[in-house]
Amino acid sequence: MKSISLYEEKASFVHDVDPITKLWYIPFAILIPIILPSFTISFLFIGLSLVLLLGAKVIRKTIPVFGFVFLILITVVLIQGMFKPENETVLFQIGPLTMYKEGLLFALTITLRVINIICAFMILVLTTKPSDLVEALVRKGMSPRIGYVIVSVFQIIPEMMATMSTITDAQRARGMETEGKLLVRIKAFIPLLGPVVLGSLINTKERAMALEVRGFNSQAPKTYLYEEKTYQFSKVLQIGMLLLTMAAVSWRIFL
Amino acid sequence: MIKIANLSFSYNKETRVLSGINLEFDRRSTAIIGQNGAGKTTLVKLMKGLLKADEGKILIHEHDVSGKTAAQLARTIGLVFQNPNDQIFKRTVLDEVMFGPLNIKMDKQTAKEKAIEALKMVELDDKLEMNPHDLSLSEKKLLCIASVVAMDTDIIIFDEPTIAQDHGGKEKIRQIIQALKDKNKLVMTIIHDMDFVAENFERTIVFNDGQVLLDGETRDVFSQKELLKTACVEAPGITKLAERLGFKDTVLTVDEFINMKKTYSPPQ
Repeated sequence: MKSISLYEEKASFVHDVDPITKLWYIPFAILIPIILPSFTISFLFIGLSLVLLLGAKVIRKTIPVFGFVFLILITVVLIQGMFKPENETVLFQIGPLTMYKEGLLFALTITLRVINIICAFMILVLTTKPSDLVEALVRKGMSPRIGYVIVSVFQIIPEMMATMSTITDAQRARGMETEGKLLVRIKAFIPLLGPVVLGSLINTKERAMALEVRGFNSQAPKTYLYEEKTYQFSKVLQIGMLLLTMAAVSWRIFL
Repeated sequence: MIKIANLSFSYNKETRVLSGINLEFDRRSTAIIGQNGAGKTTLVKLMKGLLKADEGKILIHEHDVSGKTAAQLARTIGLVFQNPNDQIFKRTVLDEVMFGPLNIKMDKQTAKEKAIEALKMVELDDKLEMNPHDLSLSEKKLLCIASVVAMDTDIIIFDEPTIAQDHGGKEKIRQIIQALKDKNKLVMTIIHDMDFVAENFERTIVFNDGQVLLDGETRDVFSQKELLKTACVEAPGITKLAERLGFKDTVLTVDEFINMKKTYSPPQ
């Protein structure tokens, strides 16, 4: 079954870092460029994240994500560059379209922030198994029920996709055309809903019973399935990120 | 009826699921057996047009299936899927069985007649207005069989028909297969129930690692003990019993066993 997780199994120092430290990196990398709003800081953090992605050997996996994000960012650049209310200084003209400096600078700020956020999340998502992350969070006190809900999403969605594909095959086998024009596809989609939804409900009921008979709701302390992932410098990194964030806040307030 | 030439298929670049398959199917009822992952279901999906071959050809009634959609092939070849819950779309038993015939442009009256006839065959004709999801698993399976039988195709393929069936259900399926054979249809099945194969199918094809390991009369296939072991397939219980008792011929059914036992004298 095809997984919906973007995790890429590789041997790298980024993969060795524990999930909680990588989780810490996200607010750290997002907050500092906001607290210190200079292009230099933004470029610095994007550079750092890209180096980490390169070090983790997962940079290729980010291309489709950035491809999609850039498509949206182009519209931001065009709209802000041409129509921002504060636009005054004309930078250049292409036919009837005028681009303004103020709008483009604002669009650049947004673009850098978005890229920075995506990079920070990518480090976590591409180098951490969802089950490792959830188990690490449960160890830190998150409810195992919420943990199970998160992990089960990664199982149920591919299962539903596989079921939909089987049901479509069953429809086609009984003479229903599912390929071709949009109308044909819509017509084929409606009978698909019944078995998929009903199947999911039956599965949910059975899954709940299976969990119950295997002691899911037991109040006794649980043994974890996987060994805790530890990293020797995780405390140093976490404290370092916290101190740097505090320093950035102080810089902003007092200097 | 069906001619397969040099057929190869893979789901991804790394693993080839079927390679160089050459087969011809006549009207003989045929069982396709082999361990899980051997390529049985993939072959059937290729024949049905649900998958497209990487190489090779499949001809049904001399027509190449490669250019046809599964829906177009539905007039010629019917496939009963393994899990009934994946193939029930309608709110009543009758509507469910009429779904296929109406899709292949049968007129409503004929579709209804064919549906009722098929439902009689599986003994569900007293449940026409019932919601299919209220039927037992075994009945749902029979409903799915009726849904395909009602389409009156020349070729009918069953994927694991005996799963979730008790003795009575198996007996019903045996009768349905016999009725279809009597109508001169090609009945094929993918199955792991070797006793059922021995009792009901004239020809057996054994798949192993995406290739045909054995193909022939069911009796001949079940006599190839060593080759069957390669494909992780066991002969039917009665066949093994007869062999252990020293019977020279391959026995396929209990009746055959009893008849042979009467004439058999154990070695001194």
